[in-house]
Amino acid sequence: MSKVVEISPTTRHEGHSKLVLKVNDAGIIEKGNWCSITPVRGVEKLAVGKTPEQVPKIASRVCGICPVAHCLAGIEAMEASIKCEIPKDAQMLRHIVQLGNRCHSIALHNILLLPDYYIPGTEVKINPFTAEEPVRSVAKRIQRLREISQTICQIAGGEAIHPSNPRIGGMYRNCSEQAKTKMYDLAKEGLTLAHAQAEFMIAVIRNYHKRDFVDVGGKKIPMPKDLGFHNQGYLATHAFYGSSSLDECPSWDINRFKEARPYDWYMGEMEVSLEDASYPVGGTTKMGTKTNPQMEACTGIPMYDGQPVEVGPRARLVTYKNYDEKGTCGQNIARQMEYQDCFYEMLDCIDALNPAGKVIADFIPDGDGSLGWASNEAPRGTDVHIARVKDWKVQYYSMLVPTTWNFATCSAALTGAPWQLAEVIMRGYDPCVSCATHMIVIDEDNRLVAQKLIQ
Amino acid sequence: MLYPEIVIVGCGNPLFADDGFGPAVIEELQKLTLPDNVAVIDAGLGAPHFIFTLLDPEVTKKLVIVDCADFGAEPGSITRLRVEDLPPGSYRDAHSWDIAEPLQRIKDRIEITVIGCQPKRVTDPEMEIGLSDEVLKAIPKTVRLVLEIIGVDYGTTIKCLQEERQRGTAKSCGSTETS
Repeated sequence: MSKVVEISPTTRHEGHSKLVLKVNDAGIIEKGNWCSITPVRGVEKLAVGKTPEQVPKIASRVCGICPVAHCLAGIEAMEASIKCEIPKDAQMLRHIVQLGNRCHSIALHNILLLPDYYIPGTEVKINPFTAEEPVRSVAKRIQRLREISQTICQIAGGEAIHPSNPRIGGMYRNCSEQAKTKMYDLAKEGLTLAHAQAEFMIAVIRNYHKRDFVDVGGKKIPMPKDLGFHNQGYLATHAFYGSSSLDECPSWDINRFKEARPYDWYMGEMEVSLEDASYPVGGTTKMGTKTNPQMEACTGIPMYDGQPVEVGPRARLVTYKNYDEKGTCGQNIARQMEYQDCFYEMLDCIDALNPAGKVIADFIPDGDGSLGWASNEAPRGTDVHIARVKDWKVQYYSMLVPTTWNFATCSAALTGAPWQLAEVIMRGYDPCVSCATHMIVIDEDNRLVAQKLIQ
Repeated sequence: MLYPEIVIVGCGNPLFADDGFGPAVIEELQKLTLPDNVAVIDAGLGAPHFIFTLLDPEVTKKLVIVDCADFGAEPGSITRLRVEDLPPGSYRDAHSWDIAEPLQRIKDRIEITVIGCQPKRVTDPEMEIGLSDEVLKAIPKTVRLVLEIIGVDYGTTIKCLQEERQRGTAKSCGSTETS
């Protein structure tokens, strides 16, 4: 007889979500639903009628973790709609900001992941806040990596947190020769640290997944070798930056995209019939509680070629670098492998940047109301913004953010794992839930608005 | 740039009406010419996991945090809080990662002042742009308070600047009332 267990709220990621799991007598997940319970917000409506300049400001405030990705995707969707090409140096500055953002996001995710893992060779779990070695020097390295990438973001993007330099048509200003040198020095220091940090992380991740049993809330849980495997396919639009409808060969196709209602996809009403008070943090939901993922889930289910896909670091490496490791282990390792890539790429971009070059397009059209989209490879996956601008007013705006893609994929990846490890699988996706719930793009006939607009 | 002596941080989300008080104060402060050892940062909604990389207890002496805070007063009232007055937070997830907990850890090494403004309405989860009039009026007062805390005397220039700006703000907000 299957039992139902609910973990709510899930911890150590961004936002509020829960896991509803149907498990068999051995505690193995038969069907899992991971759903967002953050209320839906109307950022799309807010943008309509505003001028395109206001949108980056709005978009960057949607999330405190990846303001850069939303800001850039928002701007580029506007540029795609008005058909404005930006100068190369502006592009380089944007690439630098993007890579800085990716690096400090990976470093933050390290802090969130580490408490799951063991110090290799011991039975001690890692507490990233302890003052004891060897963890202390790792924490310091993470902190330094974040400092470096935030400073680079600040130099290229104008501000350390919400970038102020990007604008429709390019950037407000280029950086000075000295600033370029400073970024170069920082990136070189970052590269060395990134190598060391990635090596450390990969070692502890492998150590964890090679164990026969792992400890969850004082209980020994068997570790399956195929933890987090799924066959849903991958979606990535660029190795590190993104694509847009202005590209000669866009790597994303709006016609292959469809969205299903959560109602058709998630499980219906159930009663929680299994409870574990020792599960961290604070135990699972009490027995007898009613749960209804169908009605409570706040995001739609986006599909590409008719099925949910995985986005994120592994999707990028699979698509562009022939990476082949699967499961949660492979996913976390892929994320660490992007550490060095960030800095190698950043050094190339800084090299290519001409501080004397112009960073704003000569002519910025007002827009004729055609539909444009831009994708940005945010740290946690493909972030697509769709916009329609006419006479310098936003007519339509929609965001399709990374974690929305991953909700359904991760739900599929839960099957076959002990329920106590469901959160480990979920954390592998580095979810950022609150921005994932800003958007349901279905009209009253249950048809996708974006598709209707193209017809 | 990196590790200034005095750090002023504005927290909050302008998409949730009065929650945008912090960033609004920062916007005003950024228009002033402040000493080189002062950094003014619009932390937006990323404060807990972003600002601590901008501090170094060896160098940083003062941290001023501007945010909206519900302390049951009239909307637009300003209060100065100590770290001890803040509710303790916990490390569970990065979005609701409370700023209070890390502040407790550094309070003995860096002088921390929190300036809270009573909001009239915070619209979370609904989005709405724009501060309420009461909170808008608290901005000049807060700017003066911040300058006092960091020991910068802007003399009479600031009054002129503020009047100019208030006219500007009123116009750009589409409000009919001007001072």
